[in-house]
Amino acid sequence: MTEETIKPLSEPVYNHAHGRLLLPGTRYWPTDMWKSPWSLPTYRRGAAVLAGLITGGAAAAWFVGEIGPRLAPLYAAAEAFALSHDIPAFWISVVWTFIKGAILLLAPLVNALFAVWWERKISAHIQSRLGPMYVGWWHGALQTLADGIKLFLKEDIIPDCADKLVHTLAPIVVVIPAIIVFAPVPFGSGLVFADIDIGTVYVFAVGGVSVMGIIMAGWSSGNKFSLLGGLRSAAQLVSYELPRTFAVLPVIMLAGTLNIAEIASSQAGYWGGFVPRWFIFYPVVGQVAFIVFLIASVAETNRVPFDIPEAESELVAGFNTEYSGMKFALFFLSEFAYVLLSCLLMASFFFGGGAAPLPFLDFLPSWAWFLSKTLLLMFCFLWFRWTFPRFRVDRLMDFNWKFLLPVSLLNIAAGGLLIWLIS
Amino acid sequence: MTETIIFYMLSAVILLSALGVVLLPGLMHSALCLGLCLAGVAGIFASLGSDFIFAAQILVYVGGIAVLILFVVLLAANASEKMTRQISEAWLPSLLICSAFFWAFLKVTRYFSGLSAQTAPSPSVKAIAALLLGEYAVPFELISIVLLASMTGAVLFGRRKAE
Repeated sequence: MTEETIKPLSEPVYNHAHGRLLLPGTRYWPTDMWKSPWSLPTYRRGAAVLAGLITGGAAAAWFVGEIGPRLAPLYAAAEAFALSHDIPAFWISVVWTFIKGAILLLAPLVNALFAVWWERKISAHIQSRLGPMYVGWWHGALQTLADGIKLFLKEDIIPDCADKLVHTLAPIVVVIPAIIVFAPVPFGSGLVFADIDIGTVYVFAVGGVSVMGIIMAGWSSGNKFSLLGGLRSAAQLVSYELPRTFAVLPVIMLAGTLNIAEIASSQAGYWGGFVPRWFIFYPVVGQVAFIVFLIASVAETNRVPFDIPEAESELVAGFNTEYSGMKFALFFLSEFAYVLLSCLLMASFFFGGGAAPLPFLDFLPSWAWFLSKTLLLMFCFLWFRWTFPRFRVDRLMDFNWKFLLPVSLLNIAAGGLLIWLIS
Repeated sequence: MTETIIFYMLSAVILLSALGVVLLPGLMHSALCLGLCLAGVAGIFASLGSDFIFAAQILVYVGGIAVLILFVVLLAANASEKMTRQISEAWLPSLLICSAFFWAFLKVTRYFSGLSAQTAPSPSVKAIAALLLGEYAVPFELISIVLLASMTGAVLFGRRKAE
């Protein structure tokens, strides 16, 4: 195409795709959209909206302040009221545990509502589409809610050749560990449901139970694709569990504790006044541990490029082929719950939890830093999904056993060396 | 009171699922019951206040052993197994052997049955680590050598013959 074949416009045209007015006399080339993105009004508007969201969020977080100390007098007042009405302390603690549990339950649920929408928007923008735009007031914000209502109203189908009981139990076995695994995970300083000493071991132990539910789902569906998906999933999850756990060991050795909140708080302070003492900034050991943990976490959550258990091009949808309605939604919910869990763990293990990245930024409360680090890491998770092609099943195993596992083992030794050098 | 209720509930889960492992038709159901049984044992550990043993039990037995058994069942299962008998021909000798073992265990555990246990999980990791890497360092390293040897043996037997 030469310049002569593109005729100058005779009248002004508004180009909806790029959001700009083309004036008469201009020659509009199809490649103009790559010229400079900042010349597009939509681009500038989007950047302004993003800057406004970040500023507004920061202002709101600054206004709210630390949540834990704010709620403590509320709890003290409620406890005093209950005690004055002759309610035994045991029942107060039981009810308080239930209330905290109900609040904690919101984390995976709200996360799923948000993350599904976010994932669809990210995938759409990576593929030059718009994604959901109609439901809700702003950019399809309520699309997931509408999808949830649809899933509620769907018929619950159990195939004839399925093992009925196991088929029904499988989503439950998957989703219960995905929820109770959040118990020792901090959401900010003082914001932890169960501040137990063995938090890290607990998280890896309980998170590993979900694979039983996936195997149950694959086997009980009475479908060869489901069975293959379940098999692959069992092999993959059991294998990637090892480098994922070993990657955290140097962090535990450096922090000297298994309590996740204490690991996060042990990274407080700055080197030379401006480099935070986060474990990711420890030379070599921290970066290798983080990368191994990130890769293994993506594999543990069954996401692309490690999604061979549900590879739709070869296995239809793998272990959840025969599930519909809410049972399918439970599998989806637990997948996103594990994504959130991995991001929270990475934020606590490698990015200092609620610590500010620079000393002068610590006017924002710790939960705001925790949330923003988690969301940034979650963006990476969603980004990978639309960037990398899927592994082949044998390459996947080779990569784990012949690369990740030796690297993570060497990293443990390097961590010991580092501790010896520091002390 | 609450501890007793929880103990009996967990015991019921363990016993029923253990019976399920032996009696249920189908390898898969037995394997799933085994997973439930091991999780129940983990619950007992937690109710006795031993946090690390609880997590290790879940990590190794429920998340590791039971999943590996399920994996084997997925590879080995076939449709006809639901018809096979669950009770073997030699049920009477096995019953006798089991009762003998049960009686022996009863004799041994009787001395510890009245001990009171802590209810809230108390941090035990540091104490366990100090024991394992201090007083019991030699047995600990010996166990790791045994595990290494078995792993090497498994690799040797699992390896394909060189062309």
